Amino acid sequence: MNSAATSKATTPKSRRRVPIDKAGYLFIAPGYLVYFAFIFIPLLVGLYYSFTNYNFYSTPAFVGFDNYVRLFHDKLFGTAVYNTFIYSLFSIFPQMALGLLLAVLLNGKLRGRLFARVSVYVPNVTSMVAVSMIWLWIYDPSLGILNRALKTFGLDPVQWLYDPSTAMAAIVIMGIWKSIGYTMIVYLSGLQSIPTSLYEAAHMDGATKIRQFFAITIPMLKPTTFFILVMSCINSFMVFEQVNILTNGGPLNKTTTIVHQIYLRGFQDFQMGYASAMAMVLFVITLLITLLNFRLGNKGNDIDVD
Amino acid sequence: MITRKGTTVIFSTVMLIIALLMLFPFLLMVVTSLKTMGEIQSPTFTFIPKHWLFDNYSVAMRRGDWVQYFSNSFIVTAITVVFSLVFNSMAGFAFARLRFPGRDVLFFSVLIGIMVPAQATMIPTFLMMKMFPFFGGNDWQGQGGFGFINSYTGLVLPFIAGSFGIFLCRQYFLNFPRALDEAAQIDGANVFRVFFQIYLPLSKPILATLAIFKTTATWNDYMWPLIMTNTEQMRTVQLGLTIFRSETNVEWNLLMAATTLVVLPLVLLFLAAQKYFVQGIVTTGLK
Repeated sequence: MNSAATSKATTPKSRRRVPIDKAGYLFIAPGYLVYFAFIFIPLLVGLYYSFTNYNFYSTPAFVGFDNYVRLFHDKLFGTAVYNTFIYSLFSIFPQMALGLLLAVLLNGKLRGRLFARVSVYVPNVTSMVAVSMIWLWIYDPSLGILNRALKTFGLDPVQWLYDPSTAMAAIVIMGIWKSIGYTMIVYLSGLQSIPTSLYEAAHMDGATKIRQFFAITIPMLKPTTFFILVMSCINSFMVFEQVNILTNGGPLNKTTTIVHQIYLRGFQDFQMGYASAMAMVLFVITLLITLLNFRLGNKGNDIDVD
Repeated sequence: MITRKGTTVIFSTVMLIIALLMLFPFLLMVVTSLKTMGEIQSPTFTFIPKHWLFDNYSVAMRRGDWVQYFSNSFIVTAITVVFSLVFNSMAGFAFARLRFPGRDVLFFSVLIGIMVPAQATMIPTFLMMKMFPFFGGNDWQGQGGFGFINSYTGLVLPFIAGSFGIFLCRQYFLNFPRALDEAAQIDGANVFRVFFQIYLPLSKPILATLAIFKTTATWNDYMWPLIMTNTEQMRTVQLGLTIFRSETNVEWNLLMAATTLVVLPLVLLFLAAQKYFVQGIVTTGLK
């Protein structure tokens, strides 16, 4: 209030036309209170819990960095971080490459492109629970269509979700299928912002379509690519639902992830303090990725936050 | 040499193959939901069902209280969408068009929330809902009862406003011409009338985008209902489906029938309002 009054006095010309709308506070009040109570406060409370031994039944006691030290030595959490990285690495690049390929293919004025776009995108509007049920059926060891197909070709059946060497791959493949539509849509919007004059000029110079793709399309899509990379990183670090439904972290902890560990420690063992420390690690990772986005992403003509 | 027409045919064929590959899991879901268990277990595989057993759907819906699950999901989704449209657009309007002390600081603090994933705050948020004073048998210290656990309030409250929605609306309202406010002021309209009678009617596209985004997120959510509810009475369809799976075990036709029904509302909404689905992703990048 005070600062506004003084600034009003010092710069009367610029402020005179626009009076202060006290109603502004009324307008933001409901939304801001909900945001403040359910995002901002929990973040601070979570930070506090991460320094306590809170276990849901007794009053929390301050334990300093004990939870973080324990986290550092926790082999299971280490496995979860490793698995999360593996999931991200093996799902992000295929889904970006395939998404780009489909976007280029479906950008032309071909017949049936709307049907194709809708088909590619439908998995993305379907819930992860439903998608997991469908793939559970596809991966079923005895009756599932994958093993039936292997049998037809005379190959041995694979215990997709029950074999430690294939479980993560099975989850990754499902994740790629679900996310291709997302990368395709963002790439399509990126493609549409490339001026056609560039392609016309290249065509005049006799550049082939493939040459044009590598010399114009890929460089012009750099901001889009970077943006998708960041969003995909954040999304794949949150992987939980499919793990909880398909494998419950098994076999032999091969598919447990960071969020899955937070869920198990927090809501099954009720080690709320310890699980909060894990949540803080997750928050810092996503924060770093987002800040990287702001720093590097703004160098190009970004399509994201504008 | 391949003619121009020839390449078009090739590309169209490739597109069709891709579309069918992507749709294949859904096709498998639907055909399985219509088969008998005998046909599913038979050593010879058939893709198209020999007998179309539509009864599977009614049998599946009678296993568990699916009417309750669906009405829970509809109610939770509807309340979340309506409140988030009102609260986010009001806040977005104020941050974009009104001038009041502390506005930019407040908006910056809202932006911080974009970087906070729900998974990182689920434990404290859950505890706050459980220890909400004076509700669900709690005393003023939030002890003694269950707070908002197993209630619609608990499922809805944390999601009726947020950084993303406020940000989305603010960006949209920033694009309106200043002349609009000035004309309204000359006519003597107060801020409330300006918002409800001028701005809101002009912001249907952004409200549709936000509504679609919220509908998808709420209908498809699994983690929050999993944490907040533990009674059959409060189960949403996503939770119902996971419980159904453990109860039906290997009755794939019933499981696929239930899955089809859970997927159907959103797929229909998507087909009807594709534009807004795409808009939401392109403008924000959020899923």
